[in-house]
Amino acid sequence: MRDAAALSPLLDVRDLRTYFHTFAGTVRAVNGVSFEVGYGEVMGLVGESGGGKSVVGFSILGLIDSPGKIEGGKILLEGQDLVEAGEERLRTVRGREISMVFQDPMTSLNPLHTVGQQMDEVLRLHSDLGTDARHKACVDMLESVGISRAAERLKAYPHQFSGGMRQRVVIAIAMLASPKLIIADEPTTALDVTIQSQILKLMRTQIADKGASMILITHDLAVVSEMADHITVLYCGNVVERGRTRDLIENPAHPYTRGLIDSIPDTTERLDRLSQIPGSVPDIRNLPTGCNFRDRCPRAQALCAKDEPVLTPQHDGLLAACHFPLKAGERP
Amino acid sequence: MTDTPMLDVRDLQMHFSIGGGFLDRLKVDGKGVRLENPIVHAVNGVSLQIKRGEIMALVGESGCGKSTVAKTIARIYKPTAGEVRIEGQDVAGFGFTEMLPVRAKMQMIFQDPYASLNPRQRVRDIVAEPLLEQTKTTRDRAGVPERIEQLLARVGLNAEHAGRYPHQFSGGQRQRIGIARALSVTPGLIIADEPVSALDVSIQAQILNLMKDLRDEFGLAYLFISHDLSVVHHIADKVGVMYLGFMVENAPRDVLFARPRHPYTRALLSAAPSIKAKRDTEEIVLSGEVPSALDLPSGCCFRTRCPFAWDRCATERPVLQETGAAQTVACHLIDEPERDTA
Repeated sequence: MRDAAALSPLLDVRDLRTYFHTFAGTVRAVNGVSFEVGYGEVMGLVGESGGGKSVVGFSILGLIDSPGKIEGGKILLEGQDLVEAGEERLRTVRGREISMVFQDPMTSLNPLHTVGQQMDEVLRLHSDLGTDARHKACVDMLESVGISRAAERLKAYPHQFSGGMRQRVVIAIAMLASPKLIIADEPTTALDVTIQSQILKLMRTQIADKGASMILITHDLAVVSEMADHITVLYCGNVVERGRTRDLIENPAHPYTRGLIDSIPDTTERLDRLSQIPGSVPDIRNLPTGCNFRDRCPRAQALCAKDEPVLTPQHDGLLAACHFPLKAGERP
Repeated sequence: MTDTPMLDVRDLQMHFSIGGGFLDRLKVDGKGVRLENPIVHAVNGVSLQIKRGEIMALVGESGCGKSTVAKTIARIYKPTAGEVRIEGQDVAGFGFTEMLPVRAKMQMIFQDPYASLNPRQRVRDIVAEPLLEQTKTTRDRAGVPERIEQLLARVGLNAEHAGRYPHQFSGGQRQRIGIARALSVTPGLIIADEPVSALDVSIQAQILNLMKDLRDEFGLAYLFISHDLSVVHHIADKVGVMYLGFMVENAPRDVLFARPRHPYTRALLSAAPSIKAKRDTEEIVLSGEVPSALDLPSGCCFRTRCPFAWDRCATERPVLQETGAAQTVACHLIDEPERDTA
């Protein structure tokens, strides 16, 4: 039994396609994304704005509203397809099996309810605990995310907390029902750097303690490189590269990943100019033929305009969707 | 003339009264009835100098007063106290009309490229606006269209962009428009308040490179406000670290990143995530959060989060003192290094 669990991943996303049908045309926000998240693993989903990373997160939880629609693919949670699952089933998944931490803790908490009420709601819906047991569980959880005088603070409203404290509350709510998977969508982007490091540390220990897995969605490569076991890089709704964190950061095979890493200013090396990726992300309603990245790619050739590259194995176990991938240590 | 700094700020203070009306300020409690006058101490005595062609960065977390310093120097706010010398001329007390000629020497680039451009104006009008403010005769204005074309070309846009509206551009392109607008009056000083923090990392690199090129080309001085240490390391010649409205450390970039002295600077540097596998800096982890600027702690502003704080820190406010290599630090640890146990 244990071996079977070790072999099949907790979450297996296969060829996910989420489109938005707008008057201006169909936006293929997620266009054939596949990745796996193993038990106890942190998977980093990175990319620039418009890459489709948040839509992937929402799709997994079935939170895509009209005009958006999951047009194809499978989202297998322990072998069960969530795309096919009805709303009834999804409601038991959300919060209990998969929970979410959003970017902005001010808008993801209800300003009209106390923190205690919002925490209690999770347990009321997802557990059989009685009132006292629920209260105790809330106090314990709030303490474990580093909020002192927890019993007292349960009676406070979100506006009485600072940004970092609010994000701790959001994490506490996400962890309450002991979910198997946490989707954290830019959890520290709104926070200051010293608070960010506190929150990242907290998320790491919470996940390790509970043996949960996490999908960390962020634009910040530095954050994922410190947190994630695996990284999936998205560009215009496609996976361009996937692999183990250190391999992908040190020797990426896709020129886009290389470009992203090189555009981060480094505090240990002194460069006169940053290497930059020319141009900007193309309009997702009007993508180029072939490879989406070819207009900005230093290695693009005629083939790139003709055929769309697919994910193929590269060095160090990386998978990259590129006709002319970089070899280990090679520069574009 | 040549050694007059482009910008010389001395003991700048900016306090905001947030009391509101009479009834808002009226407080009734166990101690009786009284009128309160709550004051936000946003900037508490900041001094800095920037030479021509020099880039100084101000770093710190939200609420540390770095943006207020920028806006006060740009005279969007009128400072509570202190001097703001632009090429030697103190503009701290200037009124609106007195400021107009000064604005030809000093321009600002804003954080949000969406909010800082008028959505109803075409790009050519946006870029021309400061220029038209500085030129009043038809003869002076004759060269404006040509100048706009040059400016757009210089920041990487082309002439056909001039007739478009801001919503037709991406974030990075909008920031280029904002830069062209700032450059239009050939200023000597540009105050840039988080100019790249709203941009994607690949676009951020483009804008940082552009700003550096413009500095080299026109000898611009920048006051660069940022919370991102890696960006600051890349662009700045010297760095000021702010906390709760105080400058806690001020040093040339290489000195600051190699040998940070103030515990807050050290914590900030070690908290910054990095794509490098190993870190060699010692890790100071801060607990708690920044205190309210309404009610500053006594003594050192940082003592409530400082791992080294002792009784002296609560009674005596440390002042900036030189520690060699043009590095100034406001911390009692400089006098008592044996207490530094990290």
